[in-house]
Amino acid sequence: MIKVFQSEFLKLKKSSIWLLIFVSPLLSTLVGIGEAFVGDSNEEEWLITLSIMSYIHALLFLPLLTGVFSAFVCRYEHVGGGWKQLLALPVSRGNIYSVKFLLVIMLLALTQLLFTVGVLSVGFIKGYNEAIPVGEILKSVMGGWIACMPLAALQMFVSVAWSSFAAPLAINVIFTLPNILVVNSAKYGPYSPWAQPFLAMMPRFDESFGALNVPPETLFIVIFGSFALFFLSGFTYFQRKEI
Amino acid sequence: MFGILASDFLKIRRKMIWFLIFLGPIGVLSLQAVNFTLRYEYLTDLYKADLWGGLMNNVTMLAVPTIFIGLAIITSMIANIEHQTNSWKQVLALPISKFSVFTAKFTLGLILLFVSSTLLGLGTIILGLVLKFGSSIPYLELLKIIYYPYFAVMPFIALQIWLAITYKNQATALTIGIIGTVVSMYAVIFPDWVPYKWPTLENQWGEPLYSVGFGLLVGLLIYLMGLLDFIRRDVK
Repeated sequence: MIKVFQSEFLKLKKSSIWLLIFVSPLLSTLVGIGEAFVGDSNEEEWLITLSIMSYIHALLFLPLLTGVFSAFVCRYEHVGGGWKQLLALPVSRGNIYSVKFLLVIMLLALTQLLFTVGVLSVGFIKGYNEAIPVGEILKSVMGGWIACMPLAALQMFVSVAWSSFAAPLAINVIFTLPNILVVNSAKYGPYSPWAQPFLAMMPRFDESFGALNVPPETLFIVIFGSFALFFLSGFTYFQRKEI
Repeated sequence: MFGILASDFLKIRRKMIWFLIFLGPIGVLSLQAVNFTLRYEYLTDLYKADLWGGLMNNVTMLAVPTIFIGLAIITSMIANIEHQTNSWKQVLALPISKFSVFTAKFTLGLILLFVSSTLLGLGTIILGLVLKFGSSIPYLELLKIIYYPYFAVMPFIALQIWLAITYKNQATALTIGIIGTVVSMYAVIFPDWVPYKWPTLENQWGEPLYSVGFGLLVGLLIYLMGLLDFIRRDVK
């Protein structure tokens, strides 16, 4: 398993995909710096910054990037007929699938880490007086990461199934774009796996809108339920797939 | 030229491309249908002065990001037909100019998105009628909100088709498309010269036609630059 991981890591290093982990944190940091919120800015300045940046980062970027990462770790196998060569090696299909999935999760973790760095640097640049709400930031970043796992699992499934790069991405977009509306709905928002990264990353204020008022337990059931469904179906599919 | 275009139309059969062209507008409209049915009282009250205008506003709000991501996916799929089978060489070995090959791909993208925009317009009329917004359909306004963004987004169609053809790795084109989509959602706050703002049709003069004009002009420019690059580039 570790050997498989190392070889996958090598393939990843040679591609430029890891550059993508910088895109979203960078853009949201710029927005965080640029955004000048008015009003009683001394209160909850960290949380306001966090929510502005999460809005950019988690509503569309994070779910869409999950799709790009998943499609990419399958791309180099699809392109050169690599699946056949890879599966001819004495490694199990389950291992390969899990390692590829782990790789996507790892890239997402790095993205979230950079996002944290972004939030902190916005705070330091603007010179916030308030103490850093470490717990809130950690909860947001970790929550966003966990909420991406079901999406990563589904995207791995479709990326393995289709050799085209755009097709899995189209699936991803079809489900992610409705987020713009879905997160406003308290009734449907909590049940859409694609809205979860956003719901998990937005810090809770006293008056929140839409699906943000839903208790975290519901969200966890949706996240783990959809993760189990997507991962197991993808995993079984890959076991039986004719290469 | 028409022959190449016709062959390009043949190539996109059974590639899910037409499916996506229909799915874009249908997706936007069904989301708005859900939005309006669930909150019918609230929204009809909010827009009671101009029901059709309210509907069209809501449709464009979703349509602009959909167009951005849609055009990135469609252009990528169009170019990927040749990439996937390594057949750029074969296509260019035919007795046709590189100019026609590139222009045919670009035109194909334009036509497909035009079809998609038209469907969005027709669908909006149907949705408005189903929601009982009255029969005084503002056809002129509708034409504007459907086709103005289409023309204003021209620079991006030209850019994406060039990216998708030039870089075999479609992650490049699609990532730039995704960034564009997210940026376009906040584009209203940008200064007027930023192309991402044009499809929103907002500018300091309050005249959407300026956005359309800029879009067409810069679109043509980027198309020409892409074309020049394609003609000079070595095909592997």
